[in-house]
Amino acid sequence: MSRRVLLHVGCPKTGTSYLQDVLFRNQAVLREHDILYPADRFDAHFLAALDLMTLPWGGIETEAVGAWDRLAEQVRDWHGTSIISHEIFARATPTQVERALASLGDAEVHLVLSVRDLVRQIPAEWQENVKHRSHITYGRFLRTIRDPERDSRIGSWFWAVQEIPDILERWGSSLPPEHVHLVTLPPSGSDRGELWRRFSRTFGLDDLPLDLTAERENPSLGVPETALLRTVNERVTSVIAPPDYRPLVRETLAHQTLSRGVASARLGLPPADHAWARELSQGWIEVLADRGYDVVGSLDDLLGPEPGPYADPDAVGADELLPPALDAIGALLVEAARLRAVEERLHEELREAREERDRARLTPAYRARRKVVTTLEGSPAGRGTLDAYRRLRGRTG
Amino acid sequence: MEPRKDPGSDQVRAHGWVAHLRAGGTTPWLAWTGHDDAAPAARAVPGAQQLELLRRINLAFESGAGPRGDHDDRRTRLADRVLTAPAAGRGKADLPLVGVPAPSYGPRPVDPAGVSAHELLRVASVLLADDLVDLGPDPVPTSWARPWRRRFRLVGDPLVTVAAREHLLGRGRPEGGPRPFVVAVGAPLDELLAHTWTQRCFEHGSRPWGDWLRFWVERDQLPARVDLVDSVHRWGGRRPFVRVVTDLAQLPGQVGVRHLPAVRTPGADQAELARRIAAVVGLRAPVAERPALMRTLQRRISDTGVAPVGVPAAQREWVAASAARLGRHLSRAGYPVVGDLADLAPRAAVDAAAGADDQQVLDLAIGMIVDPTWRTERQVER
Repeated sequence: MSRRVLLHVGCPKTGTSYLQDVLFRNQAVLREHDILYPADRFDAHFLAALDLMTLPWGGIETEAVGAWDRLAEQVRDWHGTSIISHEIFARATPTQVERALASLGDAEVHLVLSVRDLVRQIPAEWQENVKHRSHITYGRFLRTIRDPERDSRIGSWFWAVQEIPDILERWGSSLPPEHVHLVTLPPSGSDRGELWRRFSRTFGLDDLPLDLTAERENPSLGVPETALLRTVNERVTSVIAPPDYRPLVRETLAHQTLSRGVASARLGLPPADHAWARELSQGWIEVLADRGYDVVGSLDDLLGPEPGPYADPDAVGADELLPPALDAIGALLVEAARLRAVEERLHEELREAREERDRARLTPAYRARRKVVTTLEGSPAGRGTLDAYRRLRGRTG
Repeated sequence: MEPRKDPGSDQVRAHGWVAHLRAGGTTPWLAWTGHDDAAPAARAVPGAQQLELLRRINLAFESGAGPRGDHDDRRTRLADRVLTAPAAGRGKADLPLVGVPAPSYGPRPVDPAGVSAHELLRVASVLLADDLVDLGPDPVPTSWARPWRRRFRLVGDPLVTVAAREHLLGRGRPEGGPRPFVVAVGAPLDELLAHTWTQRCFEHGSRPWGDWLRFWVERDQLPARVDLVDSVHRWGGRRPFVRVVTDLAQLPGQVGVRHLPAVRTPGADQAELARRIAAVVGLRAPVAERPALMRTLQRRISDTGVAPVGVPAAQREWVAASAARLGRHLSRAGYPVVGDLADLAPRAAVDAAAGADDQQVLDLAIGMIVDPTWRTERQVER
């Protein structure tokens, strides 16, 4: 069987979490069909990407030491098709791409890039920034990414992972165009299964008995919910460290509570930015059509929806913020109660351990030994005697 | 991409400049008009950050910063490392050179001479982290434990306690043992905070000094190692077995020795460089090995004479109030004090520098890349 590597390098916010979850949970089934998705934990390929790109990431990177080389070795050793997938690979520099491709050995490499129109990607990326501690306003975010200098951290990152022709130039310039697969996201309102069908066809997963239950997704927030989270960030990011922010704000508040506001207005682009994004996308579509890549879906999907009603998240009033704010307070109280229960259980365990120790110390023999030890510890000679005794008994404490 | 098809193209000129720098050249990109027939070392032209850093390194070699008798092959190996080193962190992607035709997408081309010190440091910190990991941790001298030693547990000022703990271990007086004295080492609170952040930089790394300090100011809390009362509680210290030491001259007596070596406070540039290196070491070595590697760097990092970090004026009022509160809590706890709790009050001059600028840090980094004696010479105790 020929060795192939399907290297899925982006983009963020294109259904990658769901794809990676399906691949992770179905590793055994995939292996039975000669497909390797080498991951001992859900975020294994994320760690490999951090390692490849020397990206410190709030402390998680310490778990990534050597992760890329281990992943590449497993891929080199596999006899059939291997899949590597993480969206932040999109940011790799040309030098890192050279290293990555060289480390995959002589396998036939196929590059996969899942892409979505800028009209939906820009608001989604702002939300993602807000879910990662940023309190930049939407207006400033838009100005930042439209600044052609791309001098800011946000601007340079955004374009590094969202500028489709550039990502494909960096990752795909050494590959034949038919080995570069562009999976476009269907327009809003399409059949929910269509994206999976496109992924499935591209990765050769059709007809495999995979468990497709959605266990892990990256849900989006409505306009008032995102505005609330941004306001909360203004207050807390300077006093809540990343290891606490992740479970309390990102998971408990954003993913488990505020994302339930399904009736809220969805975030879009202001009319002028909408027109700019569509014009830019049109240019990209022409460049991509010329390159002759394998397109799964349609390049027209990249143009994005027509302008619709726009709700400005920077102008959300207090009355709109109140319902999600109450939901947030409720969720945090429930979480605090859960943590109190954990704390109480630990105290109880500690109490039991101490009682057990005290019972053991109640014997007259123990009390006598304790008195001798306490007396000896009061002088250097006594300490020396005790040390010698402990050495003889083979004890240190 | 076939860069050498058209000999007159700017792409060829770029590869020529790369070869020029690789051979030790120092001509800035905008002044570069030559060609070099050497085959390009890599298919892609490295980023402006890597190229400019290499040019600055070559300038440092020219100015005599490198060791005498440095061999060409070492310099070529170093050049290749610089050109392939990534820029650490979520900053800018590798930047293309201005003047080389580029598509309308991708990062905007730049003049490498205008790349900021901050960007160059992202590359330099990777090189130094790799050097440190290759060097490995210095062995920590140990000696058989003296049975008559005084049992102690050191808490408080991390710069002092880390150095003292290591020194005492080498003289047969390891920390711990049954019923130890908890010795809490205090200092003027502004210095204690600065020492704590500085030592963090030489352990696991930290956020920048200003952000780290603001974190505690806005929480109105003290970091674990600065809060002496909490530190004593954590080690189960009870009143007769606790000593709060604010007079460092009397610290040796509290741990059962006649003297301890003087502790050197790293400069703001050294701490900032260590902070950046620690972040990369976290990606290169198992987490348990990082403190020993960073302690090795702390012993060996080059001296520059730059002052240590200091508390900015905006936070001094909070520091003074926190020092007073800490003193009250220690006083109420009734722990024996060696020195005077009034010495916890901040004492830095009003015009003390808050930290190092990126150029100072870059100068230090380039000096250490060019001159490897910090790696090759025997360690000195610091």
